[in-house]
Amino acid sequence: MTRLKSYATLLGATALTLTGVASVSAADLEFYFPVGVNAPAVETIQALTDEWAAANPQHTVKAVYAGNYEETTTKALTAANAGQPPQVAVLLSIDLFTLIEEDVILPISDIANSEEDKEWISGFYPAFMSDAQFEGKTYAIPFQRSTPVYYYNKDAFREAGLDPEAPPKTWDEMIEVGKALTVKDDNGNVTRWGTRIPTLGLGGAWLFGGLVVSKGDVLTTETGIEARMDTPATLASLEFLLRLAQEEVMAPGGITWGDTPKAFLEGQTASMWTSTGNLAFIEENAEFDWGVGFLPGGDGPGAPIGGGNFYVFQDTTEEEREAALDFIKFMTSPDSAAKWSIATGYVAPRPDTWETPEMKAYAERLPQALVALDQLAYAEREFATFQRAKVTQYLVDAIESVVTGNAEPAEALSKAQEGADKVLGDYQ
Amino acid sequence: MNRGLNRILLSTMGVVFAALWALPFIYSVWTAFHDEKYSANFQLGAPWTFENFIEAWQSAPFSLYFANTMILITIVLVANLILCTLVAYAFVRYKFRWAGFLFALIMVQLLISPEILIVENYLTLSRVGLTDTIIGIALPYLTSAFGIFLLRQTFLTVPKSLDEAAQIEGAGAWRVLWNVYVPLAWPVYLAYSLVSISFHWNNFLWPLIVTNSPEVRPLTVGLSVFATVDSGVEWSLVNAATLMTTAPLIIAFIIFQRQFVANFMRAGIK
Repeated sequence: MTRLKSYATLLGATALTLTGVASVSAADLEFYFPVGVNAPAVETIQALTDEWAAANPQHTVKAVYAGNYEETTTKALTAANAGQPPQVAVLLSIDLFTLIEEDVILPISDIANSEEDKEWISGFYPAFMSDAQFEGKTYAIPFQRSTPVYYYNKDAFREAGLDPEAPPKTWDEMIEVGKALTVKDDNGNVTRWGTRIPTLGLGGAWLFGGLVVSKGDVLTTETGIEARMDTPATLASLEFLLRLAQEEVMAPGGITWGDTPKAFLEGQTASMWTSTGNLAFIEENAEFDWGVGFLPGGDGPGAPIGGGNFYVFQDTTEEEREAALDFIKFMTSPDSAAKWSIATGYVAPRPDTWETPEMKAYAERLPQALVALDQLAYAEREFATFQRAKVTQYLVDAIESVVTGNAEPAEALSKAQEGADKVLGDYQ
Repeated sequence: MNRGLNRILLSTMGVVFAALWALPFIYSVWTAFHDEKYSANFQLGAPWTFENFIEAWQSAPFSLYFANTMILITIVLVANLILCTLVAYAFVRYKFRWAGFLFALIMVQLLISPEILIVENYLTLSRVGLTDTIIGIALPYLTSAFGIFLLRQTFLTVPKSLDEAAQIEGAGAWRVLWNVYVPLAWPVYLAYSLVSISFHWNNFLWPLIVTNSPEVRPLTVGLSVFATVDSGVEWSLVNAATLMTTAPLIIAFIIFQRQFVANFMRAGIK
């Protein structure tokens, strides 16, 4: 099969059609998946894949663990360039433009074109579909989507004389509440900060998108060629981050993404901004009463959406595409999505999943899981453009240089805008 | 007086730097043997545990990965030693047309980072049907520009008279290589093997990209399951897995420490 495929690439379209005709209705699928959350996720994916294979004995499917998101994209692109793409893969939603530019994926709306299929596609939360579509076509199906929420330590709220059922809603409230939550020892050293918003790296840029949304703006649009880095909203957002440190609500300097849940669990911070992908981890490890709220916003609620979608690759036979579509339908079906969501904390991408008995029981046991769902109404797509890695880096650099005190907000943002415009100018 | 002061300064610096180097290792040992909640909370009385190792061992088929890594580095090392020796020997011993140019061409490879060639290499492998095999992971690394360079430089330092004496005694080219050049380059072989083994032990991206099945994947790919980006890092688990997978290298180093250091010194002084 491998050899057959590489010949097919060499000989081009004619050979492709021939392989298509030659194979029977059975398809051998390869499915690349990344892991962004802790290890049990691999087992859940494998179990779901096996379940589909058992129900479809005419097909086979091989679930291939392909590293983190970035590595999975590299692996899929390499394989696609060599003419051996996986038929289906879960990749970052923000890699859409890269995949389109490399011309390796198929619009799913081209395969799923019956009335029933169209209805299926329209059954996903619109917020998750916004970054799966481009120029009127649906290129991806939401699978492991997440959004950041505000986690807070209810015991700390009680200790500070605050209402544990009323997390802060606005930036001003957050500073006020944060001041009450910050604890210093006799020497004036802070032993517990009021909050923790990761500001470094891609995680920092992701959360920054939420700040901007709450000020009524967006960082990118569906065109993939627009970066709105130097706007009143971005300036206000950066100044808010600085203010948190100045008012001694948050530790000064850069804050890492990876250590944030730990700092929260160990009581070094009374609240934190991080992904819903942490729900299971926090539930398992927190030794105190904790709650979840919307991200406090500037002018109103606002959050970014992140995570991974299903993509179907080109260079596949008719049968493989049909099977891939069926596989995706199975993985996003209410039962499968419920298992996946409960195991990881990702937000189930379709309303019908939340109607299943498992999900209802889950929501009852862990009502915090529902917050992210309600917040979806105020969430916008994550920063994504053509040449995403390069363009995002300008934003990351701007945020990092400001929070570490090496640049002024306005100056850093205009520099980032200039860099981004230069890259995106080629795509106008 | 001055000399005494210097000595104290030097030893203090030595101790400080040694401590700096050792800290991450000590930290990883601490976290690996303690519960997650002690990972940034150092209490001497904290209970020791093996749980992390058990959990880490169970989250991926590590025994399989260990075997694969062993097979991989054996193939690579054996091929490297043979091929690099032969090429270096040819460059040193024979005068042939384009020798300088060919050697320069090999040197140019040192400037190209292997990551750039991933797509090309993948394409080649998929044409010959070797993706998803251990031999496929090893193939691009079977010979090494660095190894050729290192051995050529070492062979150049072998006195010509030794070579000639062997020839007068009636030794052929193979015999001269085996009995004169290889024994004299012994320290370099050891040093090079060490570098090569640790490089391939740690190589991650290429094996990840070129393989799909757990049956052929090396340790590093198994280890990456713990790179949990979304949910924060569980240091105790990560460090238990890391210690476990690097243990053979560390143990080998402790056993052969004297030889390694001595060989590096000798190889370096030349």
